[in-house]
Amino acid sequence: MQEVAGGALRVQNVERTFALKDHVVRALDKVSLEVPVGSFISLIGPSGCGKSTLLRLLAGLESPDAGSLLIGERSPEEMRMAGRLGVAFQDPALLPWRSVWKNITLPLQVMGKSVKEYQSAIEELISLVGLKGFEQALPSQLSGGMRQRVAIARALVTEPEVLLLDEPFGALDEILRRTMNLELQRIWSARRPTTILVTHSIEEAIFLADKVAVMSARPGRIAEIVDVPFERPRDPEIMRSSEFHKLADHLSELLFAGGGH
Amino acid sequence: MKNFSRFARGTFVVLIVLAIWEVLGRLELVGQGALPAPTQILAQLWKDRSDYPPHLSVTLKSAGTGFVIGNIIAIIAGAISARFRFAETLLRGLGMSLFAVPLIAIVPVLLLAFTGTIPRIILAAMAVYFPTYIATMNGMRNVDPRLVDVVMVAGGSSTDVLRWIRVRSALPHIVSAFRVAAPAALLGTLLAEFGGGTRWGLGTYLLGSLGQANPSRLWSIGLVATAMAASAYMLFAILGARLSRSSMSATVETSLPMGGASGPWWKRVGGGIISAGVVLGLWALVLSILDMSPVVAKSPLAIMRYLITDPRASESRSRLFDAYSETLPLALIGLLCGLAAALLLAVILSLRPTLGRAFLPFALVSQTMPLPALTPLIVLVFGRSILATVVVCVSVTFFPSFVTISQALATTSSAAIDVVRVSGGGRFKSLRFVGLPGAVPAMVTAARLAAPRALLGVMIAEYLATGNGLGNLLNESRGRLDYGMIWTVATTSVLVAVLITQLFGLAEKLTRK
Repeated sequence: MQEVAGGALRVQNVERTFALKDHVVRALDKVSLEVPVGSFISLIGPSGCGKSTLLRLLAGLESPDAGSLLIGERSPEEMRMAGRLGVAFQDPALLPWRSVWKNITLPLQVMGKSVKEYQSAIEELISLVGLKGFEQALPSQLSGGMRQRVAIARALVTEPEVLLLDEPFGALDEILRRTMNLELQRIWSARRPTTILVTHSIEEAIFLADKVAVMSARPGRIAEIVDVPFERPRDPEIMRSSEFHKLADHLSELLFAGGGH
Repeated sequence: MKNFSRFARGTFVVLIVLAIWEVLGRLELVGQGALPAPTQILAQLWKDRSDYPPHLSVTLKSAGTGFVIGNIIAIIAGAISARFRFAETLLRGLGMSLFAVPLIAIVPVLLLAFTGTIPRIILAAMAVYFPTYIATMNGMRNVDPRLVDVVMVAGGSSTDVLRWIRVRSALPHIVSAFRVAAPAALLGTLLAEFGGGTRWGLGTYLLGSLGQANPSRLWSIGLVATAMAASAYMLFAILGARLSRSSMSATVETSLPMGGASGPWWKRVGGGIISAGVVLGLWALVLSILDMSPVVAKSPLAIMRYLITDPRASESRSRLFDAYSETLPLALIGLLCGLAAALLLAVILSLRPTLGRAFLPFALVSQTMPLPALTPLIVLVFGRSILATVVVCVSVTFFPSFVTISQALATTSSAAIDVVRVSGGGRFKSLRFVGLPGAVPAMVTAARLAAPRALLGVMIAEYLATGNGLGNLLNESRGRLDYGMIWTVATTSVLVAVLITQLFGLAEKLTRK
């Protein structure tokens, strides 16, 4: 495992509005957030609170109207161009004409790197996400969970400093989701990229993260940031502890307070 | 098992029809032998077998060359249009003209400018351009935005998106356009062959056989032409099925924003003027490159003079007007009949699927048979009459309209149908209250798509057989070396055809609201 480079992720007073036909939506209103290097933060909030927008800003796919986003000393745009980011969306967004192997190598090809040099790293990654033996399969031949693993492997192949996950397990059923949560913890622990996970599930948010940021909608703001005290590696058993339940209750109170008006 | 019995039933129907046809042919019951029996047609084909290779090779070579050239131009133009909206505006007039123009009107002009097989190649390329252009543009533009995000996040530029996503995403669309373009190339070549050029070519052979009072030969040429068109279609259908692992729709994309770009009216009008200017500019450019004598080659201005200031202008105008007033009503009647027949079959198919399915093989054959080969056969059977012209028109407009309409009938919301059913309505009621109203916009779309074909069908019938209208005017003008009229017919037919499709496009917008 190599040293984690880069720096902390700092979001300061970020604003983003969208002009619709008859009115203006403030997707993000003075949002500030700090994520230390190598830590894992979950973003939860009601629909329309701007969490996906925040993620797209961090991915350098959009620009804020005001405020600043920095990853260490660099802007998301610079990080994106340097290929230091990894993303996975709710939809695996795999190229349907490419095999598992070739989907995973895509970011390397886009960056103009030689796939050959990464041969063993990719093999290792494929076994890390549990897809050994499926290298030549096409996305249409895989189950939903397997496709999502391919998407995560693709996000990790460039050894990103920052991993951005936008409801990666949102389309999976509850059982599969638990399994994938465990696997994500294992994969993340092996590499420790600074990670932001956007999710709808309070349990998933707590189980995986060091901190949970709760957002409120209209306008999108960060309502509160809650520390998660559990030691790593975490066993699914902790989800039954009273401490976990207390935390979950607290978060859902915040959520309903934020989304209710 | 179910598939097998369906297949067996289909074969059974085909065999019965062939048997009836055989009896009709042997007893010469249709048009005094105009419809020979299938066995007689095959016997004639065997007798003429040594005639075909030289004709076929010339036709295939011209059609193939035109196919390649037209597609290369269309793909480049489509890719540029996908990237730059402005290029799309510039090229819209060209695309619309090539979509709407009755290709036969261009043949005499091409024969004035070029020799040998070049007119055939150009006409094939023109026939191919539109479907491939639209497929390339839409295929490259409408890619999955999440795939674009993936490439962008990996530090990619828009060139990377083009390279890794857009080209490959567009590929199945382009190949499925090839399915339509390949028979179209053949059609273009055959039409140009009617105009002459060289001794060889299937169209030349067909034209030469017209006056021989040998129906079996005409039918066997038609059979060969159909086989060529069908195998070209199949080739790309198979290739496309391999390429797109997901199923694709059976029709070409027709979502060309026919009514012009969206936006304020001045922008649309401006775009229209600019794109018309591009067509005129290309025209002037080609004339100046070819360096033709102004006696033979007419610029847009020369045509204006021919129709307005020339001493014989009023005579020319009235000849042109007479021709249009013969051709357009027939095209309209044929179009309406074709639409009505398509609606009827689509409705039958939705009510009684098995009954309708029996007709489909024949509908398919009539669709694949190239129009220039089909027209003489229809004229043989129905005589040199108005009826023959209308039948030609129906046969070319029927199938594409059928596909469009039955797709609409099939996709009418099943929830809405359930509402009718729950209220105690049966198939007829749900068709009446949900299916048919839902199919109205599809009818208008079908009319827009079929209108140019209807016009072409009428003109071919006039050109080859009935001696009326625009088709005949083209023939006459060639005979009289009336270059002004040749160019005028070509130009006005483009304008009229574009105008008609625009009107249908407008109607389409209104009905879809």
